[in-house]
Formats: sequence, C-alpha cells, structure tokens
Amino acid sequence: MKKIYLALLFYLISFNYSKALIEIDITRGNLDPLPIAVSPLHVDAKSDQIEGLKVKDLGNNISAIIEKNFKNTGLFNTLKKEAFVQKPDIAHLKPRFEDWRLIKAQALVTGKLLIKDGKLKIEFRLWDLTAAKEMTALAFTTTPSNWRRVAHIISDKIYERLTGEEGYFDTRIIYVAESGPKNERVKKLAIMDQDGANTKYLTLGNELVLTPRFNPTNQMVTYLSYFRNMPRVYLLDIETGMQEVVGNFPGMTFAPRFSPDGKKIIMSFAEDGNSDIYTMDLETRVVERITNHSSIDTSPSFSPDGKYIVFNSDRSGLQQIYVMRSDGSEVKRITFGKGIYGTPVWSPRGDLIAFTKVRKGRFYIGVMRVDGTGERLLTENFYQEAPSWSPNGRVLVFYRETKSGKKGEGFSASLWSIDITGYNERKLTTKTDASDPSWSSLLSK
Amino acid sequence: MTKSLIYSLIFHSIMILLTILSLPFMTRQPIDLPPIVSVELIQISDKTNIPYAPKVRKIIEETKKKEERVVSEQAPPSAKAKEKPDRIPLPNDKKEKKEIVKKKQNPEEIKPQIRQSSEFEKKEIVDTNQIAALIDKAKEIEAVKQEKSKKLTQSNVKNSFATGLTLSEEDALRAQIFGCWSVPLGLPYDEDLLVRIKLKLKKDGTIMKSEILDHQRMNMPGQKFYKILAESALRAVRLCQPLKVPPTGYEKWKDIQLNFNPAEMLRG
Amino acid sequence: MTFNKNLKNLFLVVFTTLILSACSTAKKSGNLDGDVYTGKETVKYLASGVPDRIFFATNKSSLTTASRATLRKQATFLRKNKKLNVTIEGHADERGTREYNLALGERRANAARDYLMTYGISGNRISVISYGKEKPVNPASTPLAWSQNRRSVTVKVN
Repeated sequence: MKKIYLALLFYLISFNYSKALIEIDITRGNLDPLPIAVSPLHVDAKSDQIEGLKVKDLGNNISAIIEKNFKNTGLFNTLKKEAFVQKPDIAHLKPRFEDWRLIKAQALVTGKLLIKDGKLKIEFRLWDLTAAKEMTALAFTTTPSNWRRVAHIISDKIYERLTGEEGYFDTRIIYVAESGPKNERVKKLAIMDQDGANTKYLTLGNELVLTPRFNPTNQMVTYLSYFRNMPRVYLLDIETGMQEVVGNFPGMTFAPRFSPDGKKIIMSFAEDGNSDIYTMDLETRVVERITNHSSIDTSPSFSPDGKYIVFNSDRSGLQQIYVMRSDGSEVKRITFGKGIYGTPVWSPRGDLIAFTKVRKGRFYIGVMRVDGTGERLLTENFYQEAPSWSPNGRVLVFYRETKSGKKGEGFSASLWSIDITGYNERKLTTKTDASDPSWSSLLSK
Repeated sequence: MTKSLIYSLIFHSIMILLTILSLPFMTRQPIDLPPIVSVELIQISDKTNIPYAPKVRKIIEETKKKEERVVSEQAPPSAKAKEKPDRIPLPNDKKEKKEIVKKKQNPEEIKPQIRQSSEFEKKEIVDTNQIAALIDKAKEIEAVKQEKSKKLTQSNVKNSFATGLTLSEEDALRAQIFGCWSVPLGLPYDEDLLVRIKLKLKKDGTIMKSEILDHQRMNMPGQKFYKILAESALRAVRLCQPLKVPPTGYEKWKDIQLNFNPAEMLRG
Repeated sequence: MTFNKNLKNLFLVVFTTLILSACSTAKKSGNLDGDVYTGKETVKYLASGVPDRIFFATNKSSLTTASRATLRKQATFLRKNKKLNVTIEGHADERGTREYNLALGERRANAARDYLMTYGISGNRISVISYGKEKPVNPASTPLAWSQNRRSVTVKVN
C-alpha cells in the first residue's frame, strides 16, 4: 500500500517537472482607447426617396452618430475615414482583415441599409480584425424617421459586445433649460437624446421648475414645480403629457426620485421649517413617513434593490450623508470626511454612491462605496452638483455653474459628464443653459 | 400661569383650524395643473415587426459560412455562441421580443446567448446588489483583495525563478505583450479577473496554438467581463506575433503560459 | 460681570474696526457681522422704518439680534394693519446644493414666521415659501452678494 503511495507521489513529482511551464504575468498593457473603424453604411441604390430625408447621406449620418457615441465614451478611438481601405459594401460582405489591420484598427463596423415601401432596413456587423472573425451581427426594420435611434441601438450593441457592459446610447436626458439674467432665470423642463439631438421643451417657462427625474422603468418623470407659487412634486407622463400633484401635502414637497421599481416616489416634505423624507406609493396612494427628525432630511435615493435609502441630513450640524433601511430604521452616517456632503445617488449597479462635496469653497463630484469608504473625488470646480448615473453605472452627468461678475454677467449653467474612473470629463451640448440632468434608462431594453 | 397656558392653547388650536380651513391647497381642483407641451417621443409604427427579407438572410448566412471557413484556419481557441437575431425589437413590441426570437432563430444558436444575458442580470442582482452585505463588508472585501494581490505578487516572483527564461528574456517578452495588449477600459476595476492563456509556439515565435485555460468560463452566465478580457488577451497575442523568444532553448519555451491580470491597472 | 465687560470691549473693538474698514473700502456695499449682512443696500420697506428682510449666516437659520429687532418692527406693523396678510420668502445663497437650499430657505422663512407669531401675529396671516438659491437679489459671485442673498423677505400679499 505504502509503495503504491510512493509510486504515485514519485509519479506526481516527475509529472510536475516535465510540465514545468513558463508562466508570465501580464499586468500592464496599453490603456489607449481601442482603435475602431466605423465604415459608412452602404445605402442600397434601390432605396426609395423619402421626403425630408437625405437617403443618399443616411449611411454616412448613421456611422457618424455611432462614431460620435464611441468617441464620447473615451474608451474607443475612431479612425479617420480617409484611411479606410475598402468600399463599405464590399467590406460589409467580408473585410480584408490584413488591410484593415494595416491602419491599426482592431475592430471594424460595417453595415448597409435599404429603404423600401416606407420601411428602413438596416443591418450591421462588428468584426474582430485581429482574430479575423465576426463578433456580432444584427438587422433591424423600422420607420425611416427612426434612423437616429437605430444608430444609437447599434452603438449600444457594439459597446456591449466590446466592453461586456450594457450601453447607454439609446437614452435620453431630462434637464432644466435655463435662460435670462441670473436673478430672473426662466426655467423650462427639457428633454433631449443622450447625444444632444432632438431637444424638446415640456413646459412653457411660466413657472419655476426644478429637479426632474426619470422613472427607471418607463417614460414617467417626477419634478418640482412652483405652479401657482406652491412648490410641489409633480408626476408627468412625457408621452401623454398627463400630470398630477404627488400626494396631498399642506406644504412644500421637493427632492423627488423614483424607487428602482418605479412604483414609489420618495421625496422631502417641509413642515414648519423641518424637512423629512416621505414615500408615496403610486398605485395605492399610501403616503409613508420615513424620517422624523428635527433636522433637514432631503435628497433621498433608493438602493437598486429597494432595501436601503441614502439621504442627506444636517442632524450632525452640517450636511452629511446617511444610509438607512427603507422603513427608516438603522440610520447610519457614512460620511466623516472634512467638508459637507450632499445629493447622494445610489448607482444602478448598487456598489457606489455618487455625491457632491463642498470643501473650502470648492465643489467636487465624487463616488464612494456604500459604507462611505473608498471616497474618490472625480472633479473639482467653482460650483457643480447633482450627479445622475448613466443606466449602466459607468458615467455620471451633473451640472456646473460659472462664477459671475458684479451684475451677474458671465453666469452660465451647463451639463457635464465624467467617467467614474475620473477620466473623460466632457461638456454636453445643449441648446440653452442647462441644469439638473437626469439620465433615462435604455429605451429599447 | 395656567391662564396664559389656556389662552395659548385656545389661540393655537384656533390658528391650526384656520390654517387647515384656509389652505388653498385643500380646495384646489385637480384639473388645475401647469400646462405641458406634450411631446411624441417614440415614433415607431407597427411596421417594425416586418421580418428580415429572406434573400438578405441568405447572403448573411453565406458570408457567415465563408467566414467560418476563414476562421477555422486561424483556429480560435473556443467556440462562442453566436448572437444573430434578425432584428432588435424596438420598445413598443417588447412583449413580442421573446416569441419572435424563438420563432425566427435557430434555437441552438440563440439559446445560450439569451440564457446568458438573462442570468447575467440575475447574477448581477445577487452579486453586487446585496446592499446589506456591501455596506458592512466593503472593508472586508478590500482587505481580502489586498491579501490576494499580495499573494499574486509573491507567486509572480516565484514564477520568474522557475521559468526557463532568463529575467531579461522574460522582460523582453513581457514588454512586447504590454505594448500589444489594449486593455478593455470598460472593465470593472473591482472584479477579480485573470485570464490564463497557454501558447504553443513555433521556433520563430509565431503561435501554433493558443488556448484559454478556463475557456468554459467565457460562456458562463455572468462572466461577460471575463469574456471581454479573454478576447482582448487573444488579440494581444495575435497582434504580437512573432513573439520575441530567445534564439535557443526552444524545448524550454515552446509551451508558455501568459496570465493577463488588469486589476492593478484598472484600479490605478 | 467681567466677562460681560470683556465682551463689550471686544464688541467695541470689532465694531470700530468694521466701521473703519467700511470707511476705507466698502462704503456703499454695507458690511458684515461674521458673515451676516448688516447693511441696507438691498433692503426694502413695508412701511417707513419697517425693513422687509432679515439676513442669515451661512447654513444657519438662527435669528440675529438685528433680525429680531427687524421682526419686532414687522410685528408692530402687522398688528396695526390687521387686514394685511404676508408671505415670508426664504432664500439661500448659491453656494449650496439646490435641494438642501430649498429646505434651508423653508427653515429660514419659518424662523421668521415663528418669531412674528410669538409677537402675536396670527399664523394664518403668514404663509411661507422657499426659493432656495433660485432668486438671488444680488447676482454677483462674491461673499457680500451671498450674504445679501441669505435672507428671508416679508412680502405683502394683499
């Protein structure tokens, strides 16, 4: 018996020896954005003409949107079209991988489209040029006027295939459009595609509106309106334009946000100078008081599992961030750093909380773990606040205000986005000044 | 004293009553709402449901076949489920999504992909969204991770002694691959991702065979990021061909294993 | 007693310094006590000698001695004009997050309202509204402007 063991042992040792494999750890690499070529989509010559749509340019326009989306992520380097080595239609059938590799592209997007009988048919392929194979291919049929959305959906599919994360291109941002002098600002609810296209105004600007927030599950929005000089939280269906006041509160309600399942609104209600947090169930209309404290409790935000709420309170004397169970129990302070903390928002992934920090007269947008550890300040400025997460939890959008002169000149408000790594800070293009952005979830999910 | 208290009480209750009665909010008509400019946001007609033209599909399949022929020469190390639905359902036909997919797709092809994505979501909820655990355990996780990375660097050192390459030879090879590897920047910085690739090399440093050691993990649900990393590692190896190998000692380095670990970089 | 004396002395010194500095630099822009605005530049009047607004320190809603004096004048004025109702508007400066500022403005307006009520003004004659940082009276981005914007303003309704 012993002998057998020994033999086995010997065998194992010798086996190991013969298999002594050279192992090399690769812990560093190229952090440059991935070089990708987006070939213009080939427009089928048999395509019908559509009024108000330059069908001939559609292939170029769609690829331009895809390129812009990719570039804005900071994760991809879109290569110049002049360097492209194959015609779109031929590349779409089968790229000459060797040639595309010469221009240092690692991935290639090709596609074609056809408009027939009032329908737009688009297909695209994503090629891995180094492995010389197709990574994904999809086709869509829709009405021609939807071509922008299709471009975004294609972007999402490619992004997902290349990064492993859901994309965030087929989304919208609702925000407050601002105009006029600083002390007489006119504010309207506005909505646009994530890339700044298709801006629409939802209110006329007659009353002050603030802090619109998307429902994560549908096209509803909750916001604060000063209609009739009574600041109340409203619920608005942006598709039908139907809206209502949320709850029967005898005073100001503000800082609204939806629960992750979209069925509740959580907000602050101010009574006799004291603001506490309440929820209202949108189906049953049941109002629940969550906090009961003589301090200001505001800016509540649910965790994605709905079990916790992060909020802002000055119960310690200054604004700090607290976490509690969704029934209001087990309140725990999580920020202890120097400075004051506000506007906590739980990431859709659940692992981070984004916040605004004010220290020594400077404003920071940052993220930290949900227990308050691992604080990372992403960006510093004269004034910025109100981060909102992209649906995949990768990017934050927030707003910035500039310092103004004696008479308020030089004042502006604008939307910015930043990757949670702190890279790729970028100003969003809006038609007017803008603040209080809120990112929708994916429209085509 | 008591008199004033009573006065105060009466006064206050009257006040409260008056407040309640006089509050305009209580009597306000629900119709009275600020005007809203309604916006038609999603303009997708019922025509979206038209299936893809069969002729075009044929072409796609043909090219796919051609493609597979090309690919087989290159011998990718692992089979991947191919995702090829004809179209992506747009929002207003959400409900039809699954039916359509089932009907139109070759079920063998599409099934694993669908399962993967749905379970990926489920997994995500279980893994990262257990907030309770996260709140109290983030610190512990951090500690464990630090330990792990310590171990990693230790084994790192060990490896370099055990290899059949000299340190400079190994460094040259490592530096070469550093340059070829485009790290997927979108990877989560806090997930444990390590891709091990085993290579069989020719004498000139070109690759005879490449194999991902845990390749079954690539198609497991919830391992999307692993798959992305593995693909990037494979790309790196291919881009680097021929590898800078020493002119002698082929027997020692003809089999070689590369461990791709982006954790350090993504965290920094 | 000695403490009080010391405090008095200190106060005098601070006061004279403030006056002196006001003479030298900011004659017209008024002055600050701590960071509470004590000037008259933005102040309007409900009636002769009755200022319409009071000012607050950063992130605070407590009433200063000067604010109390102003509110007592307002109370006297409101007692004389029994049919008059007012709205107290609470405001904050632009150096805080929007939502917290809304709550802070509400708290400031209520601080003023509570004080008026202790001076016998019926609560149902006084409504409050908070504008947070939305309606600055001075649009500049300076500590002085911010001090002028941290305010609660009593506005006649009818």
